Amino acid sequence: MEITLLLNTSMLLTLTIILTPTLLPLLSKTYRNSPTTITRTVKAAFLTSLVPMSLFTYCNTESITSSWEWKFITNFKIPLSFKMDQYSMMFFPIALFVTWSILQFATWYMAMEPHITKFFSYLLMFLIAMLTLTIANNMFLLFIGWEGVGIMSFLLIGWWHGRAEANTAALQAVLYNRIGDIGLILNMAWLASTTNSWEIQLSHSPQTPILPLLGLILAATGKSAQFGLHPWLPAAMEGPTPVSALLHSSTMVVAGIFLLIRTHPILTTNQTALTTCLCLGALSTLFAAICALTQNDIKKIIAFSTSSQLGLMMVTIGLDLPQLAFLHISTHAFFKAMLFLCSGSIIHCLGGEQDIRKMGGLQKTLPTTTSCLTIGNLALMGTPFLAGFYSKDLIIENLNTSYVNTWALLLTLLATTFTATYSLRMTLLVQTGSTRIPTLTPMNENNPMASNPITRLATGSILAGLLISSIIPPTKTPPMTMPITTKTTAIIITILGIILALELSSMTHTLTQPKQGTYSNFSSTLGYFNPLTHRSSSTKLLNNGQQIAQNLIDSSWYKKMGPEGLADLQQTTAKITTTLHSGLIKTYLGSFALSILITALLTH
Amino acid sequence: MSLLHLCFYSSYTLSGLGLAFHRTHLISALLCLESMMLSMYIALSMWPVENQTMSPALIPILMLTFSACEAGTGLAMLVASTRTHGSDHLHNLNLLQC
Repeated sequence: MEITLLLNTSMLLTLTIILTPTLLPLLSKTYRNSPTTITRTVKAAFLTSLVPMSLFTYCNTESITSSWEWKFITNFKIPLSFKMDQYSMMFFPIALFVTWSILQFATWYMAMEPHITKFFSYLLMFLIAMLTLTIANNMFLLFIGWEGVGIMSFLLIGWWHGRAEANTAALQAVLYNRIGDIGLILNMAWLASTTNSWEIQLSHSPQTPILPLLGLILAATGKSAQFGLHPWLPAAMEGPTPVSALLHSSTMVVAGIFLLIRTHPILTTNQTALTTCLCLGALSTLFAAICALTQNDIKKIIAFSTSSQLGLMMVTIGLDLPQLAFLHISTHAFFKAMLFLCSGSIIHCLGGEQDIRKMGGLQKTLPTTTSCLTIGNLALMGTPFLAGFYSKDLIIENLNTSYVNTWALLLTLLATTFTATYSLRMTLLVQTGSTRIPTLTPMNENNPMASNPITRLATGSILAGLLISSIIPPTKTPPMTMPITTKTTAIIITILGIILALELSSMTHTLTQPKQGTYSNFSSTLGYFNPLTHRSSSTKLLNNGQQIAQNLIDSSWYKKMGPEGLADLQQTTAKITTTLHSGLIKTYLGSFALSILITALLTH
Repeated sequence: MSLLHLCFYSSYTLSGLGLAFHRTHLISALLCLESMMLSMYIALSMWPVENQTMSPALIPILMLTFSACEAGTGLAMLVASTRTHGSDHLHNLNLLQC
């Protein structure tokens, strides 16, 4: 009994610590937030959140707290309930660790920013919303967190709001997320009307209809940038690098996948939904990997790699392995955040240069940063026994040994090859070779505020996979026996990708113009997706609306079938019948009189 | 024939002949049409009284309704022909025919 009490208390204490910087300035007149206080708050929250994680690891305690019900209508109550299960208890320390490192980095990166405290409070509010989403036990609280992260993403991407591209990117993010929200609301509506509750742990029927599950998948597509609703993620790189590191690599974009993990019990029952997830994820991962091959902006390469890994997580969901998807989320957070922080350090040191064609030979001048960049890229590629290996290799193994769609399998394997290719391309162009930077660039990575977070996350990237996978017992039996080729598939195709990258880079030692071919055009214009869909879909929608409003309602109902149409009909008839008259009135009236007289005489 | 029936028949016949033979003005035709309608209305109203059944009591009301519509149409035509031809003289309508 005491263990559960300790668990609940420490979890709620973590949440309260996070909320402190938002509440204290309201309560006290002299207290002011500052970047250092917010960083320290998050560090304290991280240390506190280790308590529930250890309790879960060693005593296997899980709990659901339910307090204060909102009596919405008579029959439908929404409690404020928190679910502390393996997902939320493992996610808290990881998210808080990554956020702490990012905030520490941001005190160096955004030091010249006049509104730095506001920036930090935005990041903190984002973190609160994300943690609410993670710990929510019912869809209402999850929706609050969902919308919260969406809004904070908008505010943070458009942080430099004087820049037109940043505003467009922020708007794009909000619009694409909104389309996904329709799916989430659809699912909530179905749950409310069918099961009369928004709690996640319901007694699930053996067969769930496909409609709410499609809503969930749409929500995940919007939030996690799967193919179809993906353009916002590369565009979101307009925000400052700490924003990209926190939101668009570790935390916000995994919210969609996290939703699918949480609602996994109802997703398992429907094989069509699982296959949809699988194919959608496979398509997303390959598409993003193709697009990353020809990108020249270092942040965009990492953004596409995030998108590709999200597709891989979706594939894992489609394979009916939520725990493995969560493991990938956890390990991915470490090395992706570190990659972004390294790129931020490089960008700042080079004075705002983001194009990798203008970087080179940085290994000698920025040793710490570039070593961590290498570690991050190796972890991303799934190098054995680094963090990414434990999740990624397991995913590929499960993919190979399960009864799965071959097309999805091929796409995922191809995407894994391309992951190795573009990571190595980025590494080679940034770190090795002769330098292409302007000569008078003062490079300085001595500031501990910049290098400590990166090295901390590097330690995490190396150890996290081993630690997490040895702590959490698996709920499904992993495949144990398989042929050697299947077991080493991931390694083989990664090495193929590396060889491909080395081969291609050895071809580009001369400064010639890259030749334009069909495939390179496809890759560099991100698959022609943006110009094809952005204009046409909105034009079609508005045209359709005009057709209905003007042609259907106004013209048809009011004119042709209403009074004017009747009048026209009568006029046509009258015009025809007037020509039939011959005008012999006297004869007509005479025969009429005759008829009257005969009638009168007959009815005697 | 009873006196009542004679009244109906005679008024109806006279109105009908008036409709056929007053050929100067359109409005005299319309007036005769109205008097035909009136005599029919009273005749139909006397029918349930004579046969002591209440079932056909609705029929004169129906007839009245439709005759009101018809009178309205007739008056509209009168106004239209007056607007185009200047008066309601019936010989204006085929004055130009050869």
